[in-house]
Amino acid sequence: MPLTTPWRSRALTAALLAAVLTTSSACGDDAPGTSAGGSIKIGLLASLSGTYQAVGTEIRDGFQLYLDTHDGKLGGRQVDLIVADEGNGAQTAVPAATKLLKQDRVSALTGIVGGGSVAGVTPVLNETKVPLVGSNGRPELKDVSRVWHTSYLSDEPGAAIAQHVRDNVKGSVYAIGPDYQGGWDELRGFTDAFGKIGGKLANADGKTTFTPFPATTNFLPYFARIKASGAAAVYTFYAGSAAVDFVKQYAQSEIKDIPLYAAGFLTEGGVLNAQGEAARDIYSVLNYSPDLDNAENRAFVAAWKAKHDGSPTTYALASYDAAAVLDRAIGAAGSNPTPEAINTAIGQLGQIASPRGTWQFSTTTHSPVQKWYLRQVRQDGRALSNTVVGDLATVGR
Amino acid sequence: MIAVAAGTNRIDPYLIPALDGVAYGLLVFVAASGLVFCFGVANILNLAHGLLYAIGGYTAAALLDGGWASLGLALAVGVLAAAAAGVLLAGLLTPVAAGNHLSQALLTFGVALAGGSLLVAGFGPDNPQVRVPAALEGSVMVAGHRYAAYRLVFIVVAAVLALALYLVVRRTRAGMLVRAAVDDPEMVACLGVSPARIRAGVLAAAGALAGAAGVLGAPIIGPGTGTADTVLLLSLVVVVLGGLGSMAGTLLAALAIGEIQTLGVALLPSAAPFLLFAAMAAVLAVRARGLAGRWRPA
Repeated sequence: MPLTTPWRSRALTAALLAAVLTTSSACGDDAPGTSAGGSIKIGLLASLSGTYQAVGTEIRDGFQLYLDTHDGKLGGRQVDLIVADEGNGAQTAVPAATKLLKQDRVSALTGIVGGGSVAGVTPVLNETKVPLVGSNGRPELKDVSRVWHTSYLSDEPGAAIAQHVRDNVKGSVYAIGPDYQGGWDELRGFTDAFGKIGGKLANADGKTTFTPFPATTNFLPYFARIKASGAAAVYTFYAGSAAVDFVKQYAQSEIKDIPLYAAGFLTEGGVLNAQGEAARDIYSVLNYSPDLDNAENRAFVAAWKAKHDGSPTTYALASYDAAAVLDRAIGAAGSNPTPEAINTAIGQLGQIASPRGTWQFSTTTHSPVQKWYLRQVRQDGRALSNTVVGDLATVGR
Repeated sequence: MIAVAAGTNRIDPYLIPALDGVAYGLLVFVAASGLVFCFGVANILNLAHGLLYAIGGYTAAALLDGGWASLGLALAVGVLAAAAAGVLLAGLLTPVAAGNHLSQALLTFGVALAGGSLLVAGFGPDNPQVRVPAALEGSVMVAGHRYAAYRLVFIVVAAVLALALYLVVRRTRAGMLVRAAVDDPEMVACLGVSPARIRAGVLAAAGALAGAAGVLGAPIIGPGTGTADTVLLLSLVVVVLGGLGSMAGTLLAALAIGEIQTLGVALLPSAAPFLLFAAMAAVLAVRARGLAGRWRPA
């Protein structure tokens, strides 16, 4: 800890640390034999039930994998990881986060699947002055002084792939997506960037077609319009069961030969298994793919596969990176890693080595400035998998 | 993709949505006929009807493995399971006075909530994958357009089911009793047919129909957490549009829903979220009794 820190602040941090230590010793069974550095409490909030259970489980497992491969320590301190269920959204997430922050007194919070949950939790973070290293949902936020994300902003995938689509598609592109905030952001990212470089949309009125969400399960009427528009390619974003319906129906429809470009979530994780053969050849843009060729990724994928079936997803990766961020920040926060000190340290991390390639936090949005990859669904051994076929833009602001 | 010459005329782009509307409409017909049957004949408002469909859907997802034998097995198991659930519902409804719709609605709605949670607990919160027989997995050309083979076959199968339903109601003793029960329930009771038996029989038949729709329709309206609600809602719209009087009305209403949901969306994509309910409001405003008269076969 720097000697220039005022005495009052040090006294406060010492008192806080004492509080943390006394409360953690009450449930010391989880962290027997704490090392010389002491222990630290981290709260992980993720959807372990409900619609986003699959994503929430990946986020929990990604963080746990980092702990398992680092002796259960972050920044040299034994971690007391407290996991809470985010449920379907802010309604369940806020009480769970409040318990983690006020009752368990965690030093940092991580996870959180839904953007709405993050927005709901932010006021409690500001009240308790605890940093959030989020690993998925990132809504529009006015104040990001204590909010950091290892994931991405919703409009970045589309912005990253626009140039590639412009260069490789001879003709206009049909843009279609689900009618909710996430869908608007994802599609706007693409159409704005695509329009700026002279790309033309095939949609009748030059605007993205939005399908009612989650009511739309039959996409055939929209496919008929795409066919009639004469589009040379389609750009889309869907996730979850809508992604399965869209891809399966696309492959059987009259536009099955029109190239399909998408934000990576269309074919990411469990949905790819459900889509099966129908997903073959789809192009998608994402900040990660399990076949990236770097040392960090080889170690990450090997460790993941030793514990789980299948390859890690971008959700697991983001959570793994959140642990890596906390590891370095807690280490850099000195002998008294208070929430405030951890937050300051996160802002000074600089380049972060990761399985996705090196990235760093943007100083304005506190989300990654990172490279995006073009992937295609191809045969990989017996299963279909997202294979990297090229680098796209580095995006972040 | 080579542009087909026919692609230039104005009707051509809407051929596939119109055809798909028939497939969707027939599915809604088979799914909803059970509810209409229950409500119109036995005077039971069964809000657990969507659950019966979901049972069929989850059965299909669990048993289908891409072969024909599994389709037969799934159909048998799905129909039996949903029919058994229907009989169970009839048993639960015994203490509720006939015609007391509020109590029936509360009871069956509770069953729907509990049953839905059990299905999610048993099969998980994700929408399970449904694997149709490999021969039907691909697509076929219809008038120069590509269309899913399964849906084309489904149209034929559902049409056969609808015809069979017509013949059963029209030609069999059970069908006669059902028609008689609509016309004059007291007289049927005087003939020595127990109302409890009719109730159990009608709910079992409704369950069997919903189960069959759930298995065969799983690739179209797939099993998932929202399936029961979707099917119940569509079935209730069928009741509003088609009335409780006739099979023709039910069929007409179901096909109308199918076309509104596909052809309507293709023609007016910006109106997609409220098209169905706008149509329902229009029918209610113009003709409060529905599109056709009383329940009669034809």
